[in-house]
Parts: sequence; structure tokens; C-alpha cells
Amino acid sequence: MTGQNVTGHNVTGQNVTGQSVVGQNVIWQSVVGQKLSGLGQHFAIRRLLLLTYVLAGMMANVVFLSPPVLAITAEELLADPALELRARDLSKQLRCLVCQNQSIDDSDAELAQDLRREVRTQILAGASDAEVIDLLRGKYGDYVLLQPPVSPGTYLLWAAPVGIIILGVFVVVAARRHQPRVSGGPVGATDLPDPILPDPILPDPILPDPISAGATDKPALTDKDTTRRVSLSARVMTVAMGGLVIGASLGLYLFLGRADLADQPLSVRQAEIDATAAAAATKSAALGKALAAAKAAAKASPKNVETWLQLAMSAAAAGETETEIEALIQAVKLTAGDSAVKSMLAEALSRAADGQITIPARTLIAEALASNPAEPRALYLAGLAAYQDENFAEAIGLWQRLQRLSTPDAPWMAMLERNIADASVAGGLPVPKPVPKPLAKPLAGPDGAAMDAAMDAVGEMSAEDRTAMIENMVSGLATRLATTPDDVEGWRRLARAYEVLGRPAEAARAQIAAADAVPNDISQQITALETLIAIAQDTSFSDDAARLVARLAQMAPDSLELLFFKGHFAKVSGDIDAARIHWQMLLDRLPKDAPIAATLQAQIEKL
Amino acid sequence: MTAQDENETRVRPRVRLSFVLPLAAFLVLAVIAAVALMATLSGTRNPAQLPSVLIGKSVPKTAVPLLFDATQSLDLTVFAGRPVLVNFFASWCAPCRAEAPALALLSEVLPVIGIAYKDKPVDTHDFLRQFGDPFSAIGVDRDGKLGFAWGVYGVPESYLLAPDGTVLLRHAGPIDRRVLDEVLMPAIKAVQ
Repeated sequence: MTGQNVTGHNVTGQNVTGQSVVGQNVIWQSVVGQKLSGLGQHFAIRRLLLLTYVLAGMMANVVFLSPPVLAITAEELLADPALELRARDLSKQLRCLVCQNQSIDDSDAELAQDLRREVRTQILAGASDAEVIDLLRGKYGDYVLLQPPVSPGTYLLWAAPVGIIILGVFVVVAARRHQPRVSGGPVGATDLPDPILPDPILPDPILPDPISAGATDKPALTDKDTTRRVSLSARVMTVAMGGLVIGASLGLYLFLGRADLADQPLSVRQAEIDATAAAAATKSAALGKALAAAKAAAKASPKNVETWLQLAMSAAAAGETETEIEALIQAVKLTAGDSAVKSMLAEALSRAADGQITIPARTLIAEALASNPAEPRALYLAGLAAYQDENFAEAIGLWQRLQRLSTPDAPWMAMLERNIADASVAGGLPVPKPVPKPLAKPLAGPDGAAMDAAMDAVGEMSAEDRTAMIENMVSGLATRLATTPDDVEGWRRLARAYEVLGRPAEAARAQIAAADAVPNDISQQITALETLIAIAQDTSFSDDAARLVARLAQMAPDSLELLFFKGHFAKVSGDIDAARIHWQMLLDRLPKDAPIAATLQAQIEKL
Repeated sequence: MTAQDENETRVRPRVRLSFVLPLAAFLVLAVIAAVALMATLSGTRNPAQLPSVLIGKSVPKTAVPLLFDATQSLDLTVFAGRPVLVNFFASWCAPCRAEAPALALLSEVLPVIGIAYKDKPVDTHDFLRQFGDPFSAIGVDRDGKLGFAWGVYGVPESYLLAPDGTVLLRHAGPIDRRVLDEVLMPAIKAVQ
């Protein structure tokens, strides 16, 4: 529907501006060219006149039109050639209101088509030319006529060209009368170039200045001072005007243009374009495959939130926003309106709307924030919505709240910083200082992202390099964590690093520190206990194990994990009876066909 | 030298006039051009905005069906007695998406009537689902007849009707924050 989009107003505005800018550029360039080449000549008046005409031309919106291409289509033509001729003639007088500098006869815009059809309908219905024109004037006003009617409102418009010509003639005549007298009688007016005919194409900077030449040749016949003053003021005027025009052009270019962008000729970039296209094709094939797999998975288990979220992610990567939205709607239903999933849906809806935070998206954001005021995605989108409403102070407030709630290494921090600066500029507000982050800790060691990237890269390295690099990072991280024991993510990362290095005791110690940092997090307690099982023979951890098990017993007294850990640590400490009792209780609560049941049975018998 | 002196006194004022006149004309035109350019760049002047011939007149009575009940036709007289905003929009129109939040805000102040201009009803339904439905009633102008009667030359276009049903103002193009705060809201306040 590209054709229809042309009738969209903002598209139209750009078209119109584009056209007139091109026209003006041509004029400006010719002015600048004339000024540069004409500096040697001293006929300031001629220059000024020329500039005045040029400016007047700009004001009258002179646009160099390319030869018209026939916009009219075969099916629009009337069967009767006489009527068709009338229709064409009328169309040429009517302005296309979308393109604004073309007649509806020339324009391909949908509105022009409609108006052409209307003109022909009216003609077929027997309307006279005047009636057709009046009908359209009644709808769109005088503007629809390419030739504006003479009326009180347009007197100035019609009179302006005549006025400018009269003014020009007056100035030229005045200039012509005085000039010969100034340059000295005997030389005579006929020796001077005719000031009426501006001759910018043939400038000759080396040409001797006729006035000053006349003055020096005939010193006895003329008053030197007067001549010099006149010729000096003329020169000053020429240079000043030229400087003004060049300065204004340069200023406009620096304001509107992009001097920093280099040329990018298509011929040079062809290989690059081909490579990019090939890469894009490969990528889209891979993404399509992943999307098909995710679709199949979602179809196979439609009750599983994970598969729907996976499908949403694959669809987003493949650019299939519709599928993404459908998947997220399913996920929202399955999670009974989880705030994070709602925020994802709001984001997908906005992405489908070219980044505009739509009304349904706003509703979702409000719901997500009502159930979880700290939901980061919803906070970010709420800030964006405020920004789009040009409510910049509110946008900054929301984004700053998100900054305070986020860890300093959260991936969106840099973007938030930029957005807040943007909003401050757009709203004319003082750029706020970075918010003091309560969660921010002095970063002595490597940051999280670098650490993770390094962990990903280790697979490609030689064993020695890998170990050395990880050792290096680990020692940095460990030093930092000693001063920031609340950093759960840091401890987990350290534990993973120790596992890679084959140091399970230290990995366990890091996991225990993580569990201590978040004593209310059940799954972290369990994770830490699991790492302890791997080093069951090391009795130095028994205090830690007891502490974690006690916490688990308090938070999840009925959990199966608790029974397992109680049995395990009883066995490690030598209390075989207690171990047997706990594991037997666990076995009784497990379903008979659970795969772990048989293993556990064997363990109990071994005790 | 006496003759020369006389010559000079007669010439000098003319020299000034022949400089000053074109200079003045040049400067006047340059200032007008600069003001117009600045106004265009800052957004307060938009050459694409055309005045509507409907200002001060009653709107034409072209019947169009309702989107949600095609058997009924849109009747603006139902809203007589209070100001109404009539918004021409279409699902295929990108700027119409941008003004959806502004229309939602406006719908809290006065009834907003939508006219789906040259749009398939099924697409209009999709558009409303995605961008919200701030409209008190929606007319379907499938072939643009109503738009032609109103002098619509693009979408989005919004008409503010006075309580007596006459057109107060027409805004062509999306309603942004500036148009909302500086044009529409003051006009609505004036008639409410």
C-alpha cells in the first residue's frame, strides 16, 4: 500500500520540502558562483539587483520542473475524445493537494487520481467547466487552482512581480544617470559596460577597474577623493554582500547538512552489498529454521510457558512480530498475567508499531507495574511512553528509578544514560547527575560482562592460556567480592570459574557465600548444598552444610530436597541411622516409578 | 574646480539612494526568507497545512455506515450540544499510529469520532486492536466519498466541531504534543 502512504501528511510534507530545497539549492549555488567570479567587477548595484531578483524568485517559489510524465492511467480515460480533452484541460488547472506543486494531471498521488475521476464523473454528468472548478473550489478552497484568482487576498501576490520590475528599472536608471559623471565627463557613458545586462558568466577579475582606471588616467579632470569614495563603497558593498551570501549558505549547510559523511558510490560498494545480502540470507535461513522448530515445540506442548517464550524469542529474532505477539499472549495467559511476560508483550506490540508505545501496550505496562513496581522492562517502556508524550521530566524520573533498581552491570544501563541525556535535551531540562546507585559497588575486579565473555571464549584457547587467563580473572573477582559480599551474581560467577579450573572446594565456598548473601533464596541454598555433595569427603564444610540445611528446613520444611540433604549429611558425619531414617522417608514420598527411587533404595541398603 | 564641486554635491545623494534602495529590498526579502525558514524548521509553520473551506460552516451530511454496525449510519447530530473531534484515519497510515496516544488523551476531554478513510474494515479492526480505540463512534468511508465532501486531502486529518455542529478548526497531519497543547486544547477549552 505504498501508493496510499503517499497521501499521509507527514510523507507529503517531506516531499514538498524536498522539492523546494532542491530548487533553492540550485539558485543558491548560482548566486555563490556569481559572487565568487564577480568579485573583481565593481558594479555593486548590478550585483545587488541580481541578488534581489534571485531572492524574489525564491520567494515566488521558483521550482525547476522536470518534463511531465503522463500520470493518467488508461482506465481513467473517457471514451469521448472531446470530453476527454476537456477533462485533461481541467486537470491541468487543478492542483494536487498532496504534491502541491503539480497539477492533478501530472500527479501519481492517490488523491490526484480521485480528483481526476471526480472531474470526469462531473463532465459525464453534463457539468460545465466552471461548475467542475466551482465544485472543487467549494471543497478545497482557492488553493486547488494552480492559477490563483485575483482577489483582495492575492493583490499583493499579483502586484509583486510588477512592483519588483518597476523598482529594478528605477534603480538601474538612477545608477546609469550618475555613473558617467562620477568617472569623468570626457570618457563618456558609452564606454562603460551596460549595467542593465548582468553578465555573470563572463567575469574577468583582471579587467582594469573602469572607474578607478578613468580616475587615474584623467587626474586633472575629476575629483579623486569623490571617485575613490564611491568606488570604495561599491567594492565594500560587493564584498560585504558576497560575504553575507556565502556566509549564510555556509551557515545553512552546517546547520542542515552532513559534511562529516563521506561519499559512498554504489559501484565501490557493490561487493560489500552482495556480501551483506548473502550473510543476511544465510542468517534468515537459520532463523527461519529455529522459528519452525520453536513453532513445532509450542504446538507439541501448548501448556508449557517456556516453549511459548522460546517461540516468542525465535519469532522476534526472525522479525515475525505477529507470531511473537501471539506467542506472548499465550504466555501471558499461562502465567496468569506475570508482570515480566506482560512487559515483554507490551514491548513486542510497540515494536510492531515502529517503536510507538501504543494504547494496548500502555495498559499492559500499567498492569505490570501495578503488580511489580520494580519490573525493569515495564519501567523502561513507561519512561519511553512518557518520552513519546513529550513528558520529559516524567520519563527521566522513571528511567532514574530503573537505574537505581538495576545492578551497575545491567545491560541497559548505558542505554538509560543516553536516553536520560536525550530527554533532558529535548525537554530543555538540566542533565541530571548520574543517580547514586545503592547497589553499585566499587569495581576493583573485572566486570561481569567481560568475565562472561571470557568464560565463553575459553573453549577456543590452549589449556595453558585458558588456565592463566581464568586464574587472573578469578583472583581479581575474588578480591573484589571480599569487599562486596552481597554480590550474589559475582559469587555465582566465581563458583563457575572455580568449577572450570577444577577446584570444587573453592567453587563450593563461593556458592555458600552466594547462599549467605541471599539467605531467603531457596534455590540458591539447594545449589550450594549440591556443590557440597560433590566434595562429600571434605568435613571442613560441615558447619556450612548444617547452616544451609537449617535454613532450608525453616523455609521449605516439606521439601524432598531437605530430606535428601539431611540424609546425606547425616551419612557424611557418620550418623548412619539418621541417614537411613531420612532417606527412607524420602523414598516413601517418591513415586514408585521415579528413576531416582531405585538409586536411593540401593543407597539405603548400602548403609 | 567649481563646476566639479557642484557636480559632486548633486551626485552624492543619488549615489546613496541607488545603493540603499536595492540594499533595503535585499535585506527585507532576506529577513522574510529567514523568518519563514526558521518557522518551518521549528515546526510552527507548515506549508503542507492548507486552510479548510469548512471553517465556520456545518459539515456536509454524507451518510457512511458504522464500523461496528453496518446497518446503521454515522449520525453526528447525536453529539450536538458539546464539542466533538472528528478524526480521519486509516490502518495503512503511519502517522495515524503516532497520534493514537494523543487521541486517547483527547477522548477523556470530548467525544472523538473516527472515520476510517479508504480502509478495509478488517484492517481497521486490526489497527484498533493494536493501537487502541479512543473513538466514541467509527464511520467507514470505504471509497473516500465523505472525505471528498469534507475536503480531506490526506490522513490523518482532524476537525474540531463546535457544540452547534460547525467546524472550528481543521488540523492536517498527526496530532503531536505541540498541536495538542497549543492548538486543540485551547480551542476546546474556549467552547466548553
